[in-house]
Amino acid sequence: MSRVLVAMSGGVDSSVAAALLKEAGHEVVGVTMKTFCYSGTPGHAKTCCGLDGIADARRVTMALDIPHYVFDVEEDFSRDVVDDFVSEYARGRTPNPCVRCNGNTKFRDLLARGRALECEAIASGHYVRWEEGPGGPRLRRGADRAKDQSYFLWELPRAILPRVRFPLGDLTKAQVRERARSLGLSTADKPESQEICFVPTGDYRDLLRRKLGPFHAAFQPGRLVDRRGNVLGEHDGFAGFTVGQRKGLGGGFGEPMFVLEIRPDTREVVVGTREELVAHHVEVGELNWLIEVPEAGTHLRVQLRYRAADVPALVLEAGDRVTLELLEDAAAVTPGQSAVFYDGERLLGGGRIVRAESAAA
Amino acid sequence: MDPIYLDHAATTPLRAEVRVAIEPYLGDTFGNPSSLHRWGREAAAALAEARATCATALGAHFSEIHFVRGGTESDNLAIQGRAARLRADGHIPTVAVSTVEHAAVLGAASQATARGAGRLETVPVAEDGSLDLDRLDRALAEPPTVVSLMWVNNETGMILPVEEVAARCRAAGATFHTDAVQAVGKVPVRVDVVPVDLLTATGHKLQGPKGTGLLFCREGTYLSPLLHGGGQERLLRPGTEDVAGAVGLAAALRLAVAEREAEAARLGALRAQLEGELAARIPGMRVNSGRAPRAPHIASVSLPGLDGTSLLVALDLEGLAVSGGAACHTGASSGSHVLAALYGADDPHATVRFSLGASTTAGDVVRAARVTASVVERLQAQEGGA
Repeated sequence: MSRVLVAMSGGVDSSVAAALLKEAGHEVVGVTMKTFCYSGTPGHAKTCCGLDGIADARRVTMALDIPHYVFDVEEDFSRDVVDDFVSEYARGRTPNPCVRCNGNTKFRDLLARGRALECEAIASGHYVRWEEGPGGPRLRRGADRAKDQSYFLWELPRAILPRVRFPLGDLTKAQVRERARSLGLSTADKPESQEICFVPTGDYRDLLRRKLGPFHAAFQPGRLVDRRGNVLGEHDGFAGFTVGQRKGLGGGFGEPMFVLEIRPDTREVVVGTREELVAHHVEVGELNWLIEVPEAGTHLRVQLRYRAADVPALVLEAGDRVTLELLEDAAAVTPGQSAVFYDGERLLGGGRIVRAESAAA
Repeated sequence: MDPIYLDHAATTPLRAEVRVAIEPYLGDTFGNPSSLHRWGREAAAALAEARATCATALGAHFSEIHFVRGGTESDNLAIQGRAARLRADGHIPTVAVSTVEHAAVLGAASQATARGAGRLETVPVAEDGSLDLDRLDRALAEPPTVVSLMWVNNETGMILPVEEVAARCRAAGATFHTDAVQAVGKVPVRVDVVPVDLLTATGHKLQGPKGTGLLFCREGTYLSPLLHGGGQERLLRPGTEDVAGAVGLAAALRLAVAEREAEAARLGALRAQLEGELAARIPGMRVNSGRAPRAPHIASVSLPGLDGTSLLVALDLEGLAVSGGAACHTGASSGSHVLAALYGADDPHATVRFSLGASTTAGDVVRAARVTASVVERLQAQEGGA
């Protein structure tokens, strides 16, 4: 029997992950990461992010008869996830904080704790499949394509793959809920979490205003321009915009207009038509590969948004950055978002989108 | 291995005699002490008996013992209640607390002086348990002053100079409160010997029930209540009394005080054995407050270059129940303000507090030392190799 450390958020997925590992005969140790405190929002129903989650996880671990601990990762989380989120928006980009949190904070801390606690592996309730391959362990999309979370895990260091486990990879969400109910777990019918955990109000601009100050360029009025440089109107701060967004541009353009680009230096928000939103080339930086770095000429698939389908792409250049030619249309390719690479269902790695270009440009 | 509980400073199991004493008041003797009829009279008699028992154990008068619902409430009533009374009399009070007080005292003092309601003075304590008397005198020079100094520190076990400070306060006309939660039953605590005006004790550190506590308030020391309602506890703590709790607290307190001398000697010997075993196995270990006079039941040791949370979790997985600084309410570990006050905020040590109690045996402390040493050795090897 080997000891496995399981990250438990207090949701149904990680509850069932822990239960399955226990059933499989492992000595399971549950941990909840305390990531964020809403200390600045008195009267908020949850005084601390995850405090409700901590209590839920504790009830589940009591039912499963496994130990449970809380690890305070607030400092790392605040630096690596929240500060990064804020500075990305300040640069006119649109970050994926959950990717950052998984790759940079949670698994890194889990791994260190797991080593200290003599655990053979660390596990989580992500919907992603782990399997042995000829060149070592590999990750594949979760069997439940609607729930697949491989997109969030591209930042996992390759070296830790032998020591991670994802017990839910072959299951559907419905099966997971069914298991939770049959085990009598108190989290069986808990709703999905939707918001970014450190933006409880759902409006990230409040957080940006607090962190950057109301006089930051991101909150100053600027011009709405088209690709040719024509001024089409004004906006009241680029912090409110993301590439692909249609809302908030005002009307009267004759045809639907979308945000194409944010230029923080000039505070310009570039808008254009649906056709102009389509990208043909993407440059990706801050890469992490779970395979050997591919050569130019390699074909792969790339997913450019969490809920988007992946599209075929050709690697034009690979090094510190990767330049891809997209072989099918992809709209609203947004700097700061994750570009995640696949070979069929297999997760190859990913990076952050630096720039997208349409063939027209 | 069978788990070992060495966290008696966090809380203690209910003692069998206490359980027996409480039993009737969870059953047929359920009356409200304020009622005139026989049920009420029975409950009132039990409450009076409990109050008399507590008074005797502490050297107080019957009417000076006020039952409240725990140590935190008692600390708040003492400090906020006294400050509020001084304000009601037209004064701006100075509230002076040491840097190593329990959060209940720090919180009460800060609340009592918030938004101009008073002046807050923090008095440093040195590693040897001595107090910065100049800072204390500065606070006493701005009357009226309320001073709160714990009798025994909950994290390191050091005994603070309560007698000396109480006398100084008495001479200066200041009000003196002491949180004696960790002191009762471990060191001599008598309000007829030491001139304290207000004293806090709780049941659950003495093998009594949780949610029970008392505030000794010396005759002639006037407080404003924090809660308003009926006239219970001489108007200081309205609300129908918890008779079972009071009876349990009284039984636990009486036994703890009666057995104090023998039990303190036994625990002191076990603690010395524990620290000796640890020191022999773990090079570079520091005994916190090691140069201060200490209560016999707490051994707090710090180890260089380790992560505190991982250490505590690893010990728990080995069956050893101890704590870091003080137990935090979410279970996540956070820095200890006490150790920061004594050793600096960037002290790079991980701390383990062992606290001994009635069930602790010599076998327990030897095993605890062995387990701790082997876990520490493993983690240090990892840290070194990482």
